[in-house]
Amino acid sequence: MQVGIDLFVLRKSWLHEIDPRVKLFFVAVSIIILLVFKNIFFMLTALVLLHLLHWSAKIPRDRILFVWKTLMPVAILICVLWVVFYPAGDPLIQIWMVKITLVSLAQGAVLGLRIMTMAFVVFAWLYSTDQPSIVRSLVKLKMPFEWGLILALALRYIPTFQGMYAVISEAQQARALNISEGKGFGRVRTLMPIFVAMVISALRASDQLARALEARAFGAHGVERTYLRDISFRPLDWVFTFAIFATALLLLYLNFRYGFGRQPISLF
Amino acid sequence: MADEPMSSQTDTICLETRDLWFAYGDNPPALRGISLTIRAGDFVGLVGQNGSGKTTLAKHFNGLLRPTQGQVLLYGQDIRDRPVGELARTVGYVFQNPDHQIFSATTREEIAFGPRNLGLEEAEVQRRTEQAMEHFDLTEYADHQPAVLGFGLRRKVSIAAVYSMRPQILILDEPTAGLDWHCTHDLMERLTALHRQGHTIILITHDMRLIAQYTPRCMVLREGKLLLYDDTRKVFEHCDLLRETHIELPQVCELARELAPIGVRRDALTVPELCDSYADLIARREVTNAGGH
Ligand SMILES: Nc1ncnc2c1ncn2[C@@H]1O[C@H](COP(=O)(O)OP(=O)(O)OP(=O)(O)O)[C@@H](O)[C@H]1O
Ligand SMILES: [Mg+2]
Repeated sequence: MQVGIDLFVLRKSWLHEIDPRVKLFFVAVSIIILLVFKNIFFMLTALVLLHLLHWSAKIPRDRILFVWKTLMPVAILICVLWVVFYPAGDPLIQIWMVKITLVSLAQGAVLGLRIMTMAFVVFAWLYSTDQPSIVRSLVKLKMPFEWGLILALALRYIPTFQGMYAVISEAQQARALNISEGKGFGRVRTLMPIFVAMVISALRASDQLARALEARAFGAHGVERTYLRDISFRPLDWVFTFAIFATALLLLYLNFRYGFGRQPISLF
Repeated sequence: MADEPMSSQTDTICLETRDLWFAYGDNPPALRGISLTIRAGDFVGLVGQNGSGKTTLAKHFNGLLRPTQGQVLLYGQDIRDRPVGELARTVGYVFQNPDHQIFSATTREEIAFGPRNLGLEEAEVQRRTEQAMEHFDLTEYADHQPAVLGFGLRRKVSIAAVYSMRPQILILDEPTAGLDWHCTHDLMERLTALHRQGHTIILITHDMRLIAQYTPRCMVLREGKLLLYDDTRKVFEHCDLLRETHIELPQVCELARELAPIGVRRDALTVPELCDSYADLIARREVTNAGGH
């Protein structure tokens, strides 16, 4: 059964192997860069490079298409709105009140492309890192362990609740509940028997979970936690971190000092 | 109309499947070509290993699942186009976990929910609710919150809540799981009473003793195929086949088999049956012994 929330794609690739903290660092740095740069050629290059990244990490093609399909409408909408409402420079063509200029076209395209590139950055991280690793990396970055556990449990329970919803809705249909009945508020009323049964079951599950955790001495005072599976930086991870850092620094320097990538069309 | 006693076990066929195949999504088929008929008024036990497809098969009987291939017929009519809510009038389905259906503030409301969905008049709803509570001995809990009752009671509430719709056919998915011996037999007696009133009952279980003691017919699934389906006594004769699919006969049946050479009936299903047969044997011996002197 396909469960909606886990985006992780199990593959053997260099991107899957590197420390999740490095990937997190990459996401943060990339987003800053993508926000600073406003040049269409820069964005296009970034987009191509990100596809190469996904491809080298053996992410299947339908996962890449999924990102396109999901975000393309937003990207196009933003692009069109920009072109229509912020004309700058000489109009290429004019249709009634709407002036379309080369500059605003480029600016709109940059905005649209920015959405796509940022999405591919984030998805490169999510596709190549399983949930436990994401949580472990956040805990390592000094997020309190309890928060990490809560996050992990929440993620862990999403598929459980999806399954629970499916079963409960079947059980109520077997009692002649017509779940496609009603609109708006009427529909909420129709679905009430499912929601209430879900809440009761969820409370029961959380109560059991709490007891099970306590029975295993979770949160016992004065005990220093050790970790079964630790993550640690390998030399290669340091290389990547340094490379990301250096590249970002260079790009930002070029941008601030020489205006690299600040204009929509010309590079300098 | 539903109150009149229905004649027990007629020749009418109430449920039939023809070459029923089913697969969950792209998984390998969970049911592989099942053809069977169930007569109105039967009490059928449905057994098989975990994952053999019992629940999957049963969910086809009330339309919760639809065949990938093949047909399901209810009283001779294909149920393909009939929604679950309408089939619920005729086929009641009690889920494995009572907590998956309990949501009301009182037991009475919980049990009245199904009949109300059927669009019955309020007086009729009340009548059926009271009667269902009485049958399952829940009247004293009528105003309790069902969600906080003990497990055995929640179980009974969930069954009463389906029974109150008066379905001719009642399917129960492992209704005795998690119940102690007393509650189990109490429940089985109540189901037997419904069977006597003429309801068709299909009981999914892992407890072969319940099959031996209560269900006259027995259906065995193995890996999505119908392995055996006959009178319980006849099914139990295939004990080697059953053992292959990891179903052990109740000890009393094994004992009867061991004792068969000395003249005890081989196919005894329950302790009283075995005892009777043994007492007969002794009595006959005494007669012959007495005759010999
Ligand atoms: N929702 C589902 N999605 C995918 N596969 C499923 C689903 N439900 C059941 N299956 C699979 O179908 C097969 C039959 O399952 P089913 O639940 O019908 O078995 P069962 O005989 O009721 O088992 P049990 O005794 O454990 O209740 C199993 O292999 C099971 O893994
Ligand atoms: Mg089952």
